[in-house]
Amino acid sequence: MLRAQSLLTTLAATALILLVGLPVLFILLQAVFPEFARGSFAGPFSKLVILTENDRLMMQARNTLLLAFSVMIGCLIFGLPIGILRGLFHVPGARVWDVVFLIPFLIPPFIAAIAWMMTLQPRGYLFQLLGFDMGRFLFSFAGVAFVMTLNLFPLVYFAVSRALEMVGGRFASAARVHGALPLQAFFLITLPLSIPAIAASLLIVFAMSIEEFGTPAALASRTGFEVLVTGIYTRLSDWPIDLSGAALGSVMLMAMVLAAFTLQNWIATRRSYISQTGKPADLEKADLGRWRWPVLGLFALVALIGVVIPLAAIAVTSFMGTISGGLSWSNLDLRHYEPIFQSGSRAWQALITSGWLAVLTAFATAAIGGLVAYIVVRGTGRGRSVMDGLSVLPNAIPAIVLAVGIILFWNSPYQPISLYGTAAILLVAYIGILLPYPIRYAVARLRQISGSLDDAARVAGAGQMQALRHVTLPLMAPSLIAAMMLVFAIASRELVASIMLAPAGMRTVGTFVFSQFEQGSVQTGMAMSMIAITITSGILLAVNLWLARQGSSAFSG
Amino acid sequence: MFRTTALAASLGLIGTLAQADTLTFYTAGPGGLADALAEAFQAETGITVNVFQGTTGQVMARLEAEEANPQADVVVSASWGSAVDMHERGLLMEYFSPNAENVPDFLTHSHYVAQGISALAIAWNTQSGTPRPSEWTDLASADYRDLVTMPDPAQSGSAFDLIAGLETAMGEEAWKLLGALADNGMIVPGPNAAALNPVLQGAAAAVFGAVDYISYSRAAAGETVEVIVPESGTVIAPRPMFILESTTNADAAKAFVDFVLSDAGQALVAETWMMPARADVEGLRPGINDLNVIEVDEDAVSARRDEIIARFNETVTNR
Repeated sequence: MLRAQSLLTTLAATALILLVGLPVLFILLQAVFPEFARGSFAGPFSKLVILTENDRLMMQARNTLLLAFSVMIGCLIFGLPIGILRGLFHVPGARVWDVVFLIPFLIPPFIAAIAWMMTLQPRGYLFQLLGFDMGRFLFSFAGVAFVMTLNLFPLVYFAVSRALEMVGGRFASAARVHGALPLQAFFLITLPLSIPAIAASLLIVFAMSIEEFGTPAALASRTGFEVLVTGIYTRLSDWPIDLSGAALGSVMLMAMVLAAFTLQNWIATRRSYISQTGKPADLEKADLGRWRWPVLGLFALVALIGVVIPLAAIAVTSFMGTISGGLSWSNLDLRHYEPIFQSGSRAWQALITSGWLAVLTAFATAAIGGLVAYIVVRGTGRGRSVMDGLSVLPNAIPAIVLAVGIILFWNSPYQPISLYGTAAILLVAYIGILLPYPIRYAVARLRQISGSLDDAARVAGAGQMQALRHVTLPLMAPSLIAAMMLVFAIASRELVASIMLAPAGMRTVGTFVFSQFEQGSVQTGMAMSMIAITITSGILLAVNLWLARQGSSAFSG
Repeated sequence: MFRTTALAASLGLIGTLAQADTLTFYTAGPGGLADALAEAFQAETGITVNVFQGTTGQVMARLEAEEANPQADVVVSASWGSAVDMHERGLLMEYFSPNAENVPDFLTHSHYVAQGISALAIAWNTQSGTPRPSEWTDLASADYRDLVTMPDPAQSGSAFDLIAGLETAMGEEAWKLLGALADNGMIVPGPNAAALNPVLQGAAAAVFGAVDYISYSRAAAGETVEVIVPESGTVIAPRPMFILESTTNADAAKAFVDFVLSDAGQALVAETWMMPARADVEGLRPGINDLNVIEVDEDAVSARRDEIIARFNETVTNR
């Protein structure tokens, strides 16, 4: 039995080291040795001066943290109320709302920023429709935090709703039997029990906010607002390229995220959050009763701001003959869809490539992520917290730097199997970048499941593997499935790593859209986004409805 | 699990097979040109060209990261300085294509040659309700208050060249002009596309330093944008094409360079609204002899790069 566990641990550790550890190590080497990419170890630490001679660095670090905290608060405001309602009550159309709130992940952040810009800037769509614009708000710190919040709040929604589904109403009922008022019971019992999930999702929000470049660059650079990642991108985006400087900047981001991770871990482990002990319990959700319509109104409002407006801006733009023609029926034109619908076109190839990459990534990350989470929470070995910490790093490293690390490692002349230059490298990169989602979600979930359930299975004669398969895995499934959907959504439009790593000749949805925006037509880029969003959300909706029809027996814990 | 492995294996196999009679071509925009060149070249020679297209920064970052084990054979960048630098580091293969005879001398070198040329201009929205500008200095007038954008020289090599060119031509007056533009509310929203798009929608009226071929092609697509090249002079941005010393496929690489500089190849370049590198191939728009080109001392300017960008940030971005 012990063999099985050590085999699993070895497997998980190998996967993490190959997918995350070694690329990160190569970035660190590049940060220390400026000539590392050329295979030389000359001049160690010679780049460290940029840390001391740059006065802007402190200002950028401050801005980075300020932005990340604002986005975290914004995500709580947008994601927490609807997450709680979804978790504890019968919200009509719950499965559909889940897919609706996945849509922000289907929209590449830079496209979302452009959509908001075209809507709110002077003479934008809002002005053309209603006669006023909100450019001042959009092109400011608040505007950046607002748009980034809309990209990320579903992380909180999904984490909270899944966690509360599991906590259920029964602890609150127990509290009420002991005389607590409904709100008291909620704030003292139910909400605290879902703290690991909320903290885990906020950690991802934090990591993604400090790593995100496109939105601050598009919206706030004109007001002189700079974040740490600005400097990293500048070092990698114009001649002369400075790999070491960029790697060094990323080390600072990694340090920030590791600090946040430690804090999150402390919050999540200083006491027990176990709510799943295996006692038979009534998991029925409460009915909303007369609150049905106000609650639906709230869901609709969040969906309007977070999903409908940006999606409408993308759709409208894709149907416009010319941008300068503005919103008028005579400017309605389908020609920007033509290059996409030609059979065998590059756009189709891109859709197909992104499609299978996203599916494989979703399954692979769920498998590896579930395994790592199981070992981190249930294992006994020493390296557990190292594995846990390692898994969160990809979110802290700007994707472009992680891609550089992946090139340095997989394209090294000493590498026996060269995946670089093949499509497999994209899969490796996507899995590395997206692993944090299933791991964070599954770790949080496992902390709610009592280990005594495993023990009971073992006492009843099940082997460790059997206990894992028949007890723990089904209990983890809802979180893993939620994470898989997220991973699928993000992988279907991933941009930055794809640009750096896609073998010459291969295109993904993200790179196609980006090159249309940079060099071709904005409308064709938007048209491609529309098609990809429609297909992907259709797939997610179908999966979700299928799961619903399977009944809750397998997946509701 | 089996399927994943099988798929990875088959993809790996494709990767290995692809080494045999194929060429890997890394290129900065314009969109579509690289694919058109690759298809035409394949039709003529049977050699498959695998294209990676990105911004100059992306192409260069990838080359840099791959340096221990280079993948590309032929590269086109949008920054002449990048070719100069890579040559100094001994990374380029010497080759002078017979088809480069008609490329003007200053756009050829023993190790690299221009593929095409763009110029920097004012891109003006004709429906913006502002008077038609004709000079760089016009955009500092009250008519264009809060209505001018400029690409960020830290993110756009051509915008950097424009500042260097204006400084060469006008001296300190260039910095006064940039200061006046900033006082007039000019915004610096990012790289080239980010500067042009507000002008297309009408949020701004004109781009100070737009890359001309992008604006020409948008105008051809029906956008109400006009490309105006000031008579006082502008800078050009030739796009260097070169073969990496590390290529394992030198003959195919040379054949490809020859093809890009052939009549057919240069015609494809012209279709993107760039100026063809060869003086004897007609472009769709005014050519290099119709422009008042400010000559910039590339070496002197790139040595002062950090200083110029810092001064720009001081004068315009972070006032």
